[in-house]
Amino acid sequence: MSTSSIDPTGSQQRISVAPHEALHGALVGLIPLGLLLFVVVVVLLLAALGRQAVSAVGFFAQQQVAVSILIAGFIATIILYALAANRTLRQVALWQRSSLHVRSRFALWALGFTALVVMLPVLLALLLPQHPTP
Amino acid sequence: MATHSSPNFLSFREKSSARRARRIVAAFLIFSAVLTSAYTALSLYIATQLVYAPQQPLYATPAFFGMQFHRITFPSREDHVQLRGWFIPGVLPGGHLTAQRTIIMVHGDRTNRADQGAGLLKLSVAFAQHGFAVLAFDMRGAGESPPAPLSLGYFEQRDVLGAADFLRSGQLPYPELGRPRVIAGWGVSLGAVTLLLAAAKEPAIRALVSDSGYPDFASILEREVPKRGHLPPLFTPGALLAAQALYGINFYDVRPVDTVARIAPRPIFFIHGDKDSFNPSTNMFVLATAARSAPDAHVQTWLVPGADHAQSFNTAGQQYVTRVTDFYNLALGPDTGKVSGS
Repeated sequence: MSTSSIDPTGSQQRISVAPHEALHGALVGLIPLGLLLFVVVVVLLLAALGRQAVSAVGFFAQQQVAVSILIAGFIATIILYALAANRTLRQVALWQRSSLHVRSRFALWALGFTALVVMLPVLLALLLPQHPTP
Repeated sequence: MATHSSPNFLSFREKSSARRARRIVAAFLIFSAVLTSAYTALSLYIATQLVYAPQQPLYATPAFFGMQFHRITFPSREDHVQLRGWFIPGVLPGGHLTAQRTIIMVHGDRTNRADQGAGLLKLSVAFAQHGFAVLAFDMRGAGESPPAPLSLGYFEQRDVLGAADFLRSGQLPYPELGRPRVIAGWGVSLGAVTLLLAAAKEPAIRALVSDSGYPDFASILEREVPKRGHLPPLFTPGALLAAQALYGINFYDVRPVDTVARIAPRPIFFIHGDKDSFNPSTNMFVLATAARSAPDAHVQTWLVPGADHAQSFNTAGQQYVTRVTDFYNLALGPDTGKVSGS
């Protein structure tokens, strides 16, 4: 689908919109989520590797290594996620100012979806049934 | 469909609406990140508390009850954790020692091989006096064995398997008595769960007594984690997943109810106190029903009147010893007096 419009310099040009614009916006909006999932997987792998590496030393060393990796990874994840989300929101603001509405709208929807995915563990913990022993 | 127009043509209304949309999404992102971060942090903390149990010192040794014994050390199967224990030879009527029929004793959680509360040392001595050798040991993270996370049977089953390996091929402390002809197991509470899980994998364990066992641990944790942590139940799945990330423990996999049928045709004797306030006695019937689902199952049950959790021996006393030793005599056959080659 395409439409005609006038760019800020006044010249008329044909640009393709909806599918390409929507995909571009959504992909940019999903960057923080992708980064988050990647870092989480790396941190979990590192924790497992760290645990294995010191398994012969004993439980307390093993616990210390796993906890240290997870805490450091947790902090790194939060920082990276915040930076990525902030950068994406700035990009969205830029698109909005440039009147790239489809692109910005899809990026915002993707960010909303990201927020939902981030909350998913808590939502699942709330909704999944538990069967405690009486 | 979208239009591409000059920013100069953006109205104040459009600008304000765009800003509002960004702010709503930003607020949603911050809210979700804070919520999940708090949930993750608390789950990790609960997991560290869940698996940590201070090791209890032994209150006595078999010598306190006039029994001969040797201290032993043997490795667990797979991960070779060096476990400490006692080997108590059985005493035959003539006073001769025997190791022909050996029972592996498996204690409960947050205790050790002497477990004064459940009367474990007294019971070990009683078995030895009835002609059964006893291998009583501290599971990882308990008594004199090396520190380890409490995994509620997930890793501890390797300790029971290590004990069976030790009896079959380890350096036994009474070489003159030879190797055990048959190996049996007795476990209480967590020990019962661990023994059931191990026996499903190890056919050398020829008969089992499961006292106050659980069909699965997730349901117990779903009750205990919120209760002990004074937190809503939604933290339980998070804590259990955090335990997997931190220690590699999958508590959802500790389900003897799924594996107990594999023990057949080896006999199992389920015992439970009818006043068990921690692990309802109905759980014994859940386990027994699962065990009986095997076509060639040999399952007995005994609901001990008036006994609380892991208190059946203390409550029933001599009757307990008689019923359990009768079960072992029937399942393992009599002591032939012959010494097996080591």
